[in-house]
Amino acid sequence: MSLINQSLPRFAVLQLSGCAGCEVSLLNANEWVEKYQLVYMPLVVSTHTVPEDTEILLVSGGVRNDEDVYNLRRAVKIVDRVIAVGTCAISGGVANLGDRDEVREMFMAQANRHHLPHLLPKSRPIDAFVDVDLYLPGCPPTPELFMGALTGPENFQASSIVCQECGRKKLKDMRPKHLLGFQQGEVLPDICLINQGYLCVGSSTRGGCRAICTRPGHPCVGCRGPSDAYIEKESSVWFDRVQQVFERLTDIPPQEIYDALHSPQLSLFLFQFADYMGNGGPARSKEKVL
Amino acid sequence: MTTLRFPLSRIEGHARVEMEVEDGKVISAQFQAIEMRGFRYFMQGTPAEQMPVIVPRICGVCSTAHHVASVKALEDIFEVEPPELAKEIRELLLLGQLIQNQATSLFIFTMPDRVGASSIFHMDESEADPEQQLSLAQRALKVRQIGTKLITLAGGQFIHPVKAIIGGITSGIKKEDAEKMLSEVKEMLPIACTLFDEYWEMSLAMRERIGTWGDDQPAFYIASTGRTRPQLNSDTIRVLGPDGSERASFPPHLIREYLDYQETEYSYSGQSSYKGQVLRANSLARMNLALSMGTPCADNYLDRLTKTFGKPAHPILLFDLCRGIEMVYAFERAIEILSNDLDYEDTDVPYKPKDGEGYGLVEAPRGPLVHHYTVKDGLIEDAEFIIPTVHNMLAIERALMVAGDRYVSPSGINLELEKAVGRVVRAFDPCIACATQ
Repeated sequence: MSLINQSLPRFAVLQLSGCAGCEVSLLNANEWVEKYQLVYMPLVVSTHTVPEDTEILLVSGGVRNDEDVYNLRRAVKIVDRVIAVGTCAISGGVANLGDRDEVREMFMAQANRHHLPHLLPKSRPIDAFVDVDLYLPGCPPTPELFMGALTGPENFQASSIVCQECGRKKLKDMRPKHLLGFQQGEVLPDICLINQGYLCVGSSTRGGCRAICTRPGHPCVGCRGPSDAYIEKESSVWFDRVQQVFERLTDIPPQEIYDALHSPQLSLFLFQFADYMGNGGPARSKEKVL
Repeated sequence: MTTLRFPLSRIEGHARVEMEVEDGKVISAQFQAIEMRGFRYFMQGTPAEQMPVIVPRICGVCSTAHHVASVKALEDIFEVEPPELAKEIRELLLLGQLIQNQATSLFIFTMPDRVGASSIFHMDESEADPEQQLSLAQRALKVRQIGTKLITLAGGQFIHPVKAIIGGITSGIKKEDAEKMLSEVKEMLPIACTLFDEYWEMSLAMRERIGTWGDDQPAFYIASTGRTRPQLNSDTIRVLGPDGSERASFPPHLIREYLDYQETEYSYSGQSSYKGQVLRANSLARMNLALSMGTPCADNYLDRLTKTFGKPAHPILLFDLCRGIEMVYAFERAIEILSNDLDYEDTDVPYKPKDGEGYGLVEAPRGPLVHHYTVKDGLIEDAEFIIPTVHNMLAIERALMVAGDRYVSPSGINLELEKAVGRVVRAFDPCIACATQ
């Protein structure tokens, strides 16, 4: 018996500038091994271009240099279906933190090398260059989410927000007066992290990750992006919603929450659809987001 | 003059090799890292306490090492010492990463080279028995998953962990969860050993075919592992000479004084060296620097290696075999830790954020990793990431020259050269996302 069954659907993984965390997650989803043929993925296969008869293309990583642009445009012409995987491909990701003039100037002046792929001024999402059929947010998406994206979103069941998958109890009478430091302080089991004063945004972050961070006690940083209720709206609506949740559950001064949420370096911005703030393009349709 | 360009695959990240050939002789070999995101630049201005969640995104393969190194750098600045339980759970986290990484390098990156396949999922292209191969790929993924499961258990999130925090960890591990994991690790250990035996056999066959274990000269070695047994969470970096004598031992804040660092125009990665000499980090360095593995199965394999190749051993394809020994060690050590009580109250100690400069060291699968931060007004003023792959850059290029000499002659270029380039680079298991950030 052989692993290669020519009749199975053929998929490729195009790795742009990223951390390979999405690819590692895909390797953890070993169910695809018997259902799909992996024809291209430089991390694990020694084939140097996307083959002509590929059906599905997963793209991970952001567009950071001119070679990324070339490889992306070439690959999407070949395939039937393009899936943007992970925060970098969807929004430019963590590298988007370089989207500050002073950083960009320093970066472009010091970093570029003449004989290598040329760096672009900022890390761009892939839909700034090509059409995308499905977005799979997460930093990285879980193996379960990968299988959902490959087999079709209709086969994937999830709660609308992380809170519903977390299981920590929200209490009415435990009202912190200030936010705790980002990681500071003891975490009580089974009680909502907001009640404990942590800046957790699971109340409006889309579900599907099964709350893998908040269950063991780390606040949600929102890597899956806004839930369906907010994803087609401006980011301010979504931030207002987080603000309201904190005002209902805590006695933290509204300005303190506002400042924490809008701190430009706050990690939740980095892992979000970061381009929602400011100069981003139109919002993605929720039908296209798993 | 002819320039040969070799694209690379089955490594982490984007890189290529360029060789210049003149009159039937290789005159230069460059290992070019061709991607960069710029973490050092855009980390400036980040609230220091957010670093442990941001920096794992430097690399999804080495994220655990960055997570722990970051926490240790901040603990160094804030002058806080985590409790024992936190140290144990962090070690478990690093062991999970060691299993995941070494299994990936062994079975997904380098095993296809041994049978002439393009990937572990395409092993039926090779001459080996297909019946055997199917079970091999599935077993390999299962062994690898033990690492992922340990990272999830000890780190929360499965790729970019979150559980290590400044001063400790967010939570312990419940007894029933530890017991479940323990039985899984125990069940998979013999399967991991069998797979490694098969890998060793395949490596012997490949050596017969190509006629060498990698005939590069001896080198210096660098690691932060223990002297008597492996240690992933140490505070000391050591350098070994080619003759096996210890040449230096220093804390992470002196690393720039002991190692020279240079940048090049042809790569987004820098290169480091020790007193002008070629350095090697990663599995073979650790094996040469530690007396024993301290666990029974791993020590058996190490004895076998030492009896055949001596100590210190230098052939570069031994990096691959050493990764297997470490994978077995990590299974056995995880069994030891999971047998302890990991569910008591003492998870973390309080701290007060303050400004200053600090260093965090861990032994990542690719070698000693150092995070060096300067914090001012609670924000990162500078974040320097000293990456183990960078210590291997000159060693990779020297080994590529040796391979070039072997396969390039005035009568022509042997087609085996392209495969040799892949084997050489993969032996060092470079991580380009880390090296360039």
